Amino acid sequence: MKAPAEGTLRAIATFVATLGLAVAAYIAIAEADGGAAACLAGGGGCETVAASSHSELAGVSVALLGVLGYLLLLGAALLRGDGARMAGFGLGLVGFAYSVYLTYLELFVIEAICQWCVVSAVLMTVLFGLNAIRMVNYVGRPA
Amino acid sequence: MSGKNAREERRQERLREEGETAGRERRERLVKLGSATAFLAIVVVAVLIVIGQSGSDGGDAGNIVGAAEVRAELDGIPQRGLTLGEESAAVTLVEFGDLQCPACKGFAEGIVPEVIASKVRSGEAKIEFRNFTIIGEESVTAGAAAVAAGQQGRGWNFIELFYRNQGIEASGYVTDEFLTEVARGAGVPDIARWNVDRRDRAGSLREVQRSSEEAERLGLTGTPSFAVFGPESDGVEVLGTPGSAGALEEAIEAAA
Repeated sequence: MKAPAEGTLRAIATFVATLGLAVAAYIAIAEADGGAAACLAGGGGCETVAASSHSELAGVSVALLGVLGYLLLLGAALLRGDGARMAGFGLGLVGFAYSVYLTYLELFVIEAICQWCVVSAVLMTVLFGLNAIRMVNYVGRPA
Repeated sequence: MSGKNAREERRQERLREEGETAGRERRERLVKLGSATAFLAIVVVAVLIVIGQSGSDGGDAGNIVGAAEVRAELDGIPQRGLTLGEESAAVTLVEFGDLQCPACKGFAEGIVPEVIASKVRSGEAKIEFRNFTIIGEESVTAGAAAVAAGQQGRGWNFIELFYRNQGIEASGYVTDEFLTEVARGAGVPDIARWNVDRRDRAGSLREVQRSSEEAERLGLTGTPSFAVFGPESDGVEVLGTPGSAGALEEAIEAAA
């Protein structure tokens, strides 16, 4: 099967990373004053996750780490060349693997689901897929 | 003519070989770069997970710490139920908290003692703890134990001591043994009665449910959240989660 054009992959990745950036920024801002993102489906899952010790990593909000991650992925999507292709793949893999871990924590440790975190995990998975396709098909080729 | 064809065929052959070599080299480069990047990414995630799992070493029933510190903090201040301070104090500061919540622990060890020292001990305000159990069933169990301790005049000692010994939420550390050791450290005089009271569905457990419902009615979304009311306040004023003791002290002064 022929891979999509690199320009198409980069355009989709730019869009998805921007969405992810908005979601992570919303969670970070909502949690900054001790609150939580509003779970549209109700049920209090977002409050429970925000109150959990797992919502911070060495004192830094996980949502803020997400903002940083999406910014880097956005940069990798906007830039050309092998450096950006490899960086996008590496960052996508980190984001995807860490999202899997966070989803595991939500399901089996915190026992609550924050729908915004799920949205972010899905976006990270899509970004990892896009960056993997970009790397496999275009690394070593002219930008 | 045939010589020209043979040259063209050799040229095509050479180009094909060069293309294959370039493709092979590209694939080898891709495998090396991809493997190195994947390895690095996995190391980064492993480090993130290890950092996330290190930290809290509380929740140990055999090693309850901070009882003397809590006694010194609260010594001489009257308590009724989960209210700390003079009954006649004009202003009431309400803290909606979850005993399993790490942010509440941070407040209990930093901001709240400052407010107790500056505003509650002086009689300007009283502070009331209300359970807002957002983390899970263990929060309800712990909250009811605090309410039962309050029935014996040791509610705030229990709350403050629980926070100082808090473990990782929903990890199963809120056992009967852990709660009992916290109650003993808090100075609950009649442990047998406390054990009955904390399981009372119509009493302490109902109270935990009632205060959590109240927090939801007030539109609170996280813990700890604060509210204040006094002669100059416009009813119950929700403060959210102020970032400093100074902000709570200002709210108390404005409501007085």
